[in-house]
Amino acid sequence: EFRFGPCRVEGVVLSELWEAFSAMKSTVQTQDDITSVRLLKSQVLHNVSDAESCYLVHSLLKFYLNTVFKNYPSKVAKFKISKSFSTLANNFFVIVSKLHPSKDKDMLSISESAHRRFLLFCKAFKQMDTEAALVKAFGEVDILLTWMQNFYHL
Amino acid sequence: TLTEDAFGLLRYVKFHSSNFENILMWDSGPASTPDMVYNVLYKRYGETEWLAKAGCQRTKQKSCNLTMETGNFTEFYYANVSVVSSGIQITSKRSERFNSLQHTTIKPPAVTCIPQVRSIQMLIHPTFTPVLSEDGHQLTLEEIFQDLFYRLELHVNHTYLMHLEGKQREYEFLGLTPDTQFLGYITILAPMWSKESAPYVCQVKTLPDRTWT
Repeated sequence: EFRFGPCRVEGVVLSELWEAFSAMKSTVQTQDDITSVRLLKSQVLHNVSDAESCYLVHSLLKFYLNTVFKNYPSKVAKFKISKSFSTLANNFFVIVSKLHPSKDKDMLSISESAHRRFLLFCKAFKQMDTEAALVKAFGEVDILLTWMQNFYHL
Repeated sequence: TLTEDAFGLLRYVKFHSSNFENILMWDSGPASTPDMVYNVLYKRYGETEWLAKAGCQRTKQKSCNLTMETGNFTEFYYANVSVVSSGIQITSKRSERFNSLQHTTIKPPAVTCIPQVRSIQMLIHPTFTPVLSEDGHQLTLEEIFQDLFYRLELHVNHTYLMHLEGKQREYEFLGLTPDTQFLGYITILAPMWSKESAPYVCQVKTLPDRTWT
């Protein structure tokens, strides 16, 4: 079960996500030759409080679904990774659909803090050529999963 | 510009990690010549500057210990090996992106098996890693993998097996036959990261029962 602060997500097996990404990792990451740029920098993911985590993971996974995965199918066929890609995308969709970040006013400062982190990620993404940014973001799923692992309980 | 490895000079630049000891390894290609030496650079993913690894410059070795340089297991790293001949850099090859938490394998535990007359004790020793905590002490595998536990099996005979598991480090198999040979298998597991060590195997014989002699 994932526990992103007050947000609970059951029914997702993290090792399956790892397995899916590991099957693609080598193929995907070797397409990214820009080793001096990292989208999911430590300022985005380090020291995220439990309370912030639900907002941040919701924003990040929605971005991955609506921007990264949506624009990646052309490569999926080329690299023959469709099964693993679908597993990953479907699980991200399940997680997002089960996340309900609170809209209470007293959570405003926390949600804004999470949003600032997300904007750091978006800014780095937009500063790159779109194609290169898509490849890089996809290749950084292991960084995202490593962070999500902190909130996973067997 | 540096030519890619078109001449078969450099192959398999790869990190090999076990218990967080991170060794970069590579192989020369068929076109290599005896005078060729290697330079190793490394960097954290996202940073611009490559750093030279002291001790792995102009080396003839085909491995380089980058444990300390890649010791932060929340970080991601790259390494780069270049081939130099007669002072000229001919080609270079980059490793895959490396993170020790993902890539390290777990070695078998160190265990002391102590036979008694009708039992066998098994004391599992903590496994220290090169990873340092913020206050500078060496972290154990238990401190890094929160869900780590031990699985112990005692093979009594071909058909009968006793099994214990848990997070503690001291175990005792009870109710055994005196003066009998047993095989113990002790494994470390960290399920969250789908990691499992090879077993430590101890062969031990219970003591003879001298109470009635």
